[in-house]
Formats: sequence, C-alpha cells, structure tokens
Amino acid sequence: MSKRKMFFKMITASLVRRRSRMLVALLAIAVGATILSGLVTIYIDVPRQMGAEMRNYGANMIFMASSNEAVFDRAAVEKGAALIPPDQVVGVSPYRYETVRIHEQPVVAAGTDIEQVRTTSPYWMIEGDWPSVTGDMLVGQDVAESLGLGVGDTVNVMSSDDSKEKDSEDLLNLGVDMKITGLLDTGGSEENYVYIAMEDLEGLVGPGELDVAELSISATADELSKYVDTIDAEVEEVTPRLVKRVTESESTVLTKLQALVFLVTAVVLVLTMICVATTMAAVVAERRKEIGLRKALGASDSSIIREFMGEGLLLGLVGGIVGAILGFLFAQFVSVRVFASSITFQPLMLPVTIIVSILITGAACLFPVRNATKIDPALVLKGE
Amino acid sequence: MSLLELKNISKIYGELKALDNINLSVDNGEWVAIMGPSGSGKSTMMNIIGCMDKPSMGEVLLDGVDIARESAKNLTAIRRDKIGLIFQQFHLVNYLTAVENVMVAQYYHSIPDEKEAMEALERVGLAERARHLPSQLSGGEQQRVCIARALINHPEIVLADEPTGNLDEANENIVLDLFHQLHEEHTTLIVVTHDPEVAEVAQRTITLDHGRIKSDLINENFGK
Ligand SMILES: Nc1ncnc2c1ncn2[C@@H]1O[C@H](COP(=O)(O)OP(=O)(O)OP(=O)(O)O)[C@@H](O)[C@H]1O
Ligand SMILES: [Mg+2]
Repeated sequence: MSKRKMFFKMITASLVRRRSRMLVALLAIAVGATILSGLVTIYIDVPRQMGAEMRNYGANMIFMASSNEAVFDRAAVEKGAALIPPDQVVGVSPYRYETVRIHEQPVVAAGTDIEQVRTTSPYWMIEGDWPSVTGDMLVGQDVAESLGLGVGDTVNVMSSDDSKEKDSEDLLNLGVDMKITGLLDTGGSEENYVYIAMEDLEGLVGPGELDVAELSISATADELSKYVDTIDAEVEEVTPRLVKRVTESESTVLTKLQALVFLVTAVVLVLTMICVATTMAAVVAERRKEIGLRKALGASDSSIIREFMGEGLLLGLVGGIVGAILGFLFAQFVSVRVFASSITFQPLMLPVTIIVSILITGAACLFPVRNATKIDPALVLKGE
Repeated sequence: MSLLELKNISKIYGELKALDNINLSVDNGEWVAIMGPSGSGKSTMMNIIGCMDKPSMGEVLLDGVDIARESAKNLTAIRRDKIGLIFQQFHLVNYLTAVENVMVAQYYHSIPDEKEAMEALERVGLAERARHLPSQLSGGEQQRVCIARALINHPEIVLADEPTGNLDEANENIVLDLFHQLHEEHTTLIVVTHDPEVAEVAQRTITLDHGRIKSDLINENFGK
C-alpha cells in the first residue's frame, strides 16, 4: 500500500468511524456553504428577476426625434433597436400622435403597434379587449366619458383636415368607421387618447414621422446606459433616453441588496469559521493521546499537520458539496416565493462554493492544528 | 561498547528530582527489568531513553550518539528508527483496525505494507482479528496489537512500561513468551514492572527509589 493510500485511509476512517463528533463540524460547514451559495445564486439571478419585475412598470428607454434634419420613422427606430442584443429586447412600441375628429370633436389619436404596446405597457388595464385587427380602436377613459363612448360601439373617425373641407364631399373624406374593442384605464394621461393601428392612422392623415418610441429592455442599469451611448453615437435619426424612474429604482434596490448579501454572507462565513475552529479544537483536545502516540511512533510535526488539515479539508470538501446542492435548492425556494419564478442554475457556483468552504475550513483549522503539534509525546507513558 | 549509556542523568521538576544522578549502561541484546515504587522515576527514565524527553543534566548515549543534545526533529527520527514502544494502556488508534494500527507505525517509518503487518499480527497470534477495531478486542488482544506495532519496524530497543499491568495471568504469559522470543532474536528489551514475576524472567533487574538506583542485580536463574 502506498503512503498516500494509507494517508487517505487514516483521514477517511477518522471521519467515518468517529461520525458523531465530525458531524457537528460538517453540519456547520454545510450550513455555511448553503447560505453562501444560496445567497450568491439569488444575488446573481436577482438583476434578471428584478428586471422582469421592473418591466411591469413600463418601458425603461425611449427614442425621440433628433433635433437635426434626419427623419424619425419606424425604420430609424428599428435601426436603433438593432444595436441592442435581440434577446434583451422585450418590446418596441412606436407612437405617432395626430389630432382626428370623432363626433365632430377633436381627439388625439395615437398610432402604434398594439402587440408591442402590450409588452411595453403591461400595466395597462383594459375594459373589454385589446384591439386585434386594423379597424379596432382602444379608447382612453376620459375620451370615452366626454364623448359618451362604450365598448362595442362603432364610431366614425375623420382626419381634422377632412372636417374643415366638409363641403367637398367627393373624395375619401367620409372618414373611417372603427370599432371600439376596449376602454383604457391607467390613471394617467394615457386616458386622454385613443389608440389605433399605425396603418389606420396613416390611412387617415397620410404618412409622417413618429413622435416617440417606447422600449422595454431586459438589461441592467449599466448595460442600458451603455446602449443609450451607442445608439446616440451611431444612429443620427434617434435620440435615446432612459426612463430614469424605472432604471434608477432598479439600481438603488440592487445596490442595497448587494450590501445585504455581502454582509449576511460575511457574518455566516465568520460564524462557520468559529464553529469549525471550536470543533477542531475540541477534536484536538479529545485526541491528545492519539497525537502523542503518533509522535511517539515517529510522526513529524508536518505529518501531524498534514493529517489534521487533511481531515479538515475533507470536511470542507464534503460540506461544500452538500452546501452547494442545498444552496441551489434554497435559492430556488426563495426565488419561487419572492419572485414567483424559478432560478437559473449557476454552474460556476458549484466549484466556487466548494473551494470557498475548503478555504474557510482550512483557515479555521490553522490554530487548532498548530496546537496539535505542541502536544508532548511523553504523555503516552503517563498513566491516567 | 554498550548500546545505551546513561551518564550522570538528572531530571528535575522544580524542587523535585525525578531522576537523581543515574549511571547505567545496557548492552546490545540485554533484557532489563526496572522496578521501584510509584513515583520513583521509572517512566521518566523510559521517556528519556525513548527520546521523548530530555534530561536536565547528563548524557544519554544511544549507539554512541548523545541524544540529550539532539534537536526535537532528530529525536523524532531516532525514535522512529530505533525504538519500539509498548504501553500499559496500549494506545491503539481507536478508529483504525488492528492491522491498520500496525500499519500506522510503518507509515511514519517508511512505507505501509499490509502483508508484513499481517505477518506481525500472525506472530502475536491475532491474524483472525486483524480487521477488528480496538473496541472489539480484549485487553490482552489489544496489548498484542501494540506489541506487533512496536516490532514492525525492527527496532534496536523495545521499551515497555508496565506491559502486563492491565492483563490477566494468561495474557501476561503470552506477552512474556513474546519477550522471550524477542530476546532470542537479540532485541534489547527494557521492561518497567511492578510485578516480581515479570521482573524474574529478565536477565537483570534494576530497582529505582526516589530517582536513584537502589540496586542493580543479575538474575542468576536467567534462562533456567
Ligand atoms: N511533567 C512533570 N512535571 C512535574 N513532575 C513530574 C512530571 N512528570 C513526572 N513528574 C514527577 O516525577 C516523579 C517520577 O514520575 P514517574 O512518572 O517517572 O514515576 P513512575 O516511577 O513511573 O511511577 P508509576 O509507577 O506510578 O508509574 C513523580 O513524583 C512525578 O510526580
Ligand atoms: Mg510510570
């Protein structure tokens, strides 16, 4: 049998056959590693989770026309959006506002892409249904009230120019009949508009430039400002802006969360170290005779250190593996509870947790193991 | 030249002289018994001979080397290579089996060799119990494991402190038989004992009292 094999036999036998004592240390390490890997996993995953959560409060970037001559149209918006990684783009809603007439009253109509609006303004409350085909119309509560409109009504929408030249009834100035599929309730200025498909608006007033485009992007605050800079520099038709309210609250919460995770992790690691150090000190005290014997048999200080460190590091390894697995489950549990979505498995957390718990255990063992080398071999001849 | 020579050895603990100017020489292959009342300094002397402690004064020559002047590191090496230890309390590692306990001594000395360790256990009549933990062995069996461990590296001197102190008559005889065999093989044996029967079978009996040698007698009946 080789020396190395004997070494492993001794340290594993010590752990396996002296279970009860080592179980305490193992438990401490496993709990520490669980909390470490759990919290860090949550921490890594939270920006994504939070991003998704924050998306619910609306778009976090808008495009506006530049002050130059360049044309701000859907092509320009697409050009700008193309600079953002496609998997991060949740939705892009172009808006063009024009005054139209309904029941002879001037009303501001927003031409947009209804499908996209559903992703950039997920918080909109609709009474009735979202418009689904051209010819459908979504009406803001305020407009509906002042004009006496309701879901299911069909109304005649005319461009405001059409109504001025009402006498020349020859051309296509009769307006378009549109069906109200839903009423919009946001509690905000959105209730002052009617929303129709961009195609319908162009049919009424002819082609033209956009006023604004709202984007919902699943990215961190840092990434967002980077995208703003690139788009600003590379797409002259577009002036991008961040919706500060959303992105800022996101990064404040993240900073606070980061501090909390670091604090809790540090406290847990220190507690784990204290527990492991105490247990190892007790183990060394309990095994004084054995250590004296090993020395009497000719063990050098470095062999004693190797063996006890070996036991400690093996504990760290086993505790780390257990902790890495439990930590993921813990993170999963928290994520499902708090964010109602499951967490992404971070493969890197496995080796990181194991290495950190080995290092922590090693550090915790330093003192007790150094004391072990001070034990006097002469004690084996002392009758007790 | 003698294998072991103590010259004017004293060991002082504060006011107490545990050993008081001891002079003693032991030849290669000798079998020496050390007797004396409790507290007379027997274990103290064994610790010094066994390179586990140093005298306060005097020289200890082992194979011509003064071990009283060696560093702790060299003492560890000398202990490993030249000394075999047998204890009253056996001191087996409680989570290792009998054969593994024997292999621990090989591990620190050179390379663990299970076959050789098994042969050592066979020699003390414990081959069938090689895979048992110490807690599953009787006192006599544990002592035989301890002897097998002491012998595994072929030490020049075997030191035994009360080897039969915890054993019954039958086991005591087994241990004494093993000592006889070792003596036949020219191993130097130094055995501390309270038991006159154990002292009787040795070649020479030294009696300590208050840290001094009170008597040093050759056993006329040795080998008869
Ligand atoms: N480390 C120590 N510090 C102080 N005094 C000690 C120490 N070790 C031994 N002594 C004292 O030295 C004296 C000799 O002790 P020693 O252990 O050699 O006795 P012994 O002859 O082996 O006795 P016993 O037969 O009871 O084993 C005792 O009085 C003991 O109290
Ligand atoms: Mg004694």
